Amino acid sequence: MMLLPCPWCGPRSATEFRFCGEAGEAGARPDPATATPEQWRRYLYLHANPRGWSTESWYHGSGCRRYFTAERHTLTNEVRSTTAAGGAP
Amino acid sequence: MSETSEEPIARSPIAPQAPVVRFGWEISARAARGDLSLSDETPLAKVAVRAPFRGAAADALGVGFGRTTRTDVDGVGVGDVLVVGSGPGEWLVLAAPGRGPDLAAALTRRLGSSGEFVSVIDLTHGRALVRLAGRAAPQVLAKVCGIDLSDSVTPDGAALRTTVARVVTDVVRDDRGGPPSSVGPSYLLHVERSSGQFLAGALLDAGAEFGLETGTFVGLAGRDT
Repeated sequence: MMLLPCPWCGPRSATEFRFCGEAGEAGARPDPATATPEQWRRYLYLHANPRGWSTESWYHGSGCRRYFTAERHTLTNEVRSTTAAGGAP
Repeated sequence: MSETSEEPIARSPIAPQAPVVRFGWEISARAARGDLSLSDETPLAKVAVRAPFRGAAADALGVGFGRTTRTDVDGVGVGDVLVVGSGPGEWLVLAAPGRGPDLAAALTRRLGSSGEFVSVIDLTHGRALVRLAGRAAPQVLAKVCGIDLSDSVTPDGAALRTTVARVVTDVVRDDRGGPPSSVGPSYLLHVERSSGQFLAGALLDAGAEFGLETGTFVGLAGRDT
């Protein structure tokens, strides 16, 4: 079982969460008013998908129903930091 | 057309055994003989409150995320209200059967003056609530729930939301309200109404090896009386 440390609820089974994509610079949404089709396509379909540390957005749908950002190592599933969206608990 | 002047009867989503009608609800009359029991507590009034995580409304409710408290809300009665911090900025308030509208009105009066964005909704007929109580209750729950249920992590008065038998459930440890005939931990499990029968069936299945039986309605003041 993979455990994810929710900043509100503590470590929980990953089945309680939904993965919401890469956060930070890799997942930053461009301004739709000024983005070129190439930038928009890159945002929608292309992902960094690194082998190593990745900053990701997760949703704890079966728990606190809050979003948070986690730094996860994609090879070992180690999580070194989490940040609650909208302020720390 | 039948002539009747009886009050309408409310029904729980969980089919009762040997049903009788009390306080306007059809409840199971069969009492558990052993220590370990699963009782349908759906008739309890259930009110959901949403408010900012920190602030005047949160202070007025008297309990934060992850804990419970027994309190008095104007017009509802002393000691028969259980306030549960079920999520960040979310509370579940439980009271005696039939008190839902009074409780929601009292909470609206009390929290309305905070000046914050607060919502109070009576969910009594939209949710199901069961109580799993007895010495082996943590062992039964551990079969269908991934939470550490030891006293050091989940003591009396703890509240959390997780999955129980894959159903999103508010788990509330409330030993004081357990059935008078039992000892040991007592858990209130609060789910969407449509998941009630499934959850009760899953728990009875998990508890069969421990002798889990269906019990009658207990309410909030079980071991107090």
